[in-house]
Amino acid sequence: MTEARIAGMGDYLSEEGGDLTDLKPIVKATLGAPVRRIGRFISLALIGAGRCLDGRTPPPDTAVYFTTGSGDFEVTVEVLEHLFRDGFPPKPLSFINTVSNAACFYVAKAFGLSGRSTCLGNRAFGFETALQLALLDLKQGTVKSALIGSADIVLDPLPIHRQRLSQPPDTPIGEAAHWLWLTAEGESGALPACRFFASRDDLMVWTATFDPATTVLGLGEGVAGDTFDLPRTFDYRTGRPYYDSRTAAAPSAFLEQATPGETMLHVSTDGAGRYAAFTVRA
Amino acid sequence: MRRAWFHGAGLHTTLGATLSENLDALPAGPPPPGVTAVPLGETVEPVPSMLLNGLPLTDVETRLWRALEPVIDAALTASDLTPLQRERTALFLGTSSLDISVTEAIYARALTIDAAHPLMTNAAMGGLAETIARRFGLRGPDYTINTACTSSANALIYADAMIREGLIDHALIVGLEIFNVITALGFQSLALLAPNGMRPFDAARAGLVLGEGVSALVVGATPGPSGFHLLAGANLCDTHGVSAANPDGSTVAAVMQQALDAASLAASDILAVKAHGTASLLNDEAEAAGMHRVFSAIPPMLAMKPFIGHTFGACGLGELLLVCGAIERGHLPPMPGISAEPGELGLTLNQTWAPVGKGAFLLNYFGFGGNNTSLVVAND
Repeated sequence: MTEARIAGMGDYLSEEGGDLTDLKPIVKATLGAPVRRIGRFISLALIGAGRCLDGRTPPPDTAVYFTTGSGDFEVTVEVLEHLFRDGFPPKPLSFINTVSNAACFYVAKAFGLSGRSTCLGNRAFGFETALQLALLDLKQGTVKSALIGSADIVLDPLPIHRQRLSQPPDTPIGEAAHWLWLTAEGESGALPACRFFASRDDLMVWTATFDPATTVLGLGEGVAGDTFDLPRTFDYRTGRPYYDSRTAAAPSAFLEQATPGETMLHVSTDGAGRYAAFTVRA
Repeated sequence: MRRAWFHGAGLHTTLGATLSENLDALPAGPPPPGVTAVPLGETVEPVPSMLLNGLPLTDVETRLWRALEPVIDAALTASDLTPLQRERTALFLGTSSLDISVTEAIYARALTIDAAHPLMTNAAMGGLAETIARRFGLRGPDYTINTACTSSANALIYADAMIREGLIDHALIVGLEIFNVITALGFQSLALLAPNGMRPFDAARAGLVLGEGVSALVVGATPGPSGFHLLAGANLCDTHGVSAANPDGSTVAAVMQQALDAASLAASDILAVKAHGTASLLNDEAEAAGMHRVFSAIPPMLAMKPFIGHTFGACGLGELLLVCGAIERGHLPPMPGISAEPGELGLTLNQTWAPVGKGAFLLNYFGFGGNNTSLVVAND
């Protein structure tokens, strides 16, 4: 394999301002049938993955890499309130679903997958960590087909949820799921690289190798447009509600407007001055 | 060859606060489990448990860090990294419950003041790893692997892949599982707890005992003092059920076989197997059936959970360190009286402090969410 090819993309995004969107009909419409015994978090994961696959059947050994900012808030809050406020033990299924990788299980079950399955996180670079490990497995031949996804949910009451996300009052907040289907072979767009850098200087050595004529700078979290020597920038975050894994929206947002041969160099930074970057080629 | 060679390690379990204390305790066989009284409304639930040695279940908001810091410090110190190597070290945190114990304590305290909302702090999945990295001066990438009971085993597989690919030279792998009420009463709700200790594969098996575990291992691209390294690993998803493997053993056998194939070994090359061995009816049945599918002659089998309880996300690394440490001392740990006779599952566990040489060893881990992992480690 020389670089991972994008076999599919799928997204779900809903800004939540009052009553939360009922996800059950959307799950049913996406998968063709309802799924029992799941909550909002797993529903989101299934909707995004279903839209990504769009009726196609991936190979059974397809691997799943899944990230989330804070996991299944809904079930964890439910269990905590039952235990500490109401004095009841957790319901068995609720307890099992407090493990965030339950979402991986339902995605694998819905699409008949038995390959590697990993739920992972990183405070600032959740999507990049999932993407990097998927690319690594594809490159090493451990995996030939990979679904990489994210999901973040909103919980009532919204002012409390904003506080959980450390967002100012009245910040628009949203629920989202973003999925990519990557394969080792193919003719479509590509995801050539994902790297981490301990410092800005380390990153700059790499970014200097990109051609400004064909490369657009994707503005990830914490990155301003005038930060690097690339004159063209791509901002997919402005106007989008806040959710933890917004970076996962970047590949599909870029490919929707890119011209063939164009590359996005997407850069994010964290509070410790570390950087993560990945490239998407149309 | 670049691969994850084992360097410095730290381990705190119910057996002891250091790796050597843990290893010193193994020849005596599994200790009896304790019972933790967990408040639930107006009542108290007795939960079979094996808590961290010498660290009482008090001051819960600070207890996680009091457990974590000495173990990580021991692993880093024993690895003798240069300041530059340490700064570039990647962090792989494998945990099921993260820092939920702290969140629970904060919420319980807040409830005494007003009708507080839970999960106002510590909710970010990557927050704990970020804090560990900052406290120990690590500026490499950090990963929180959250795959239930396979978490820290999967963390080792990914660290190995990154070392092999030349992306990093060193990684710190941390396995963490600290007592928390959700896990304790969640397993109580599932009726999976055994009050009289864990007896994997035994006719009298009745479930698991909660264990606490904090483990840390530095792996590097060059050989360490023990010669132990990860030869290969495999991870597959079993969609038979969200909380139990397929009882016919097919999915368990598949992950073991994939690990053996990746290591370019035959089943007969394996000197001993560390079972996952939760002592629950369904999982023991699945693992036993899987063993019989893969091995025509079952090698000596070990089960570490009777010694330390089920440490969930931490068991991947903690049990690995116990097994490798015991082998380095020249023996396989005994489980006197537990599964001494082949019952209906047709397996026995090692009963004596049996001598063992150099070679390859298979370690199994199976978790909620159908997450199945096998590791092959070697010291030759």
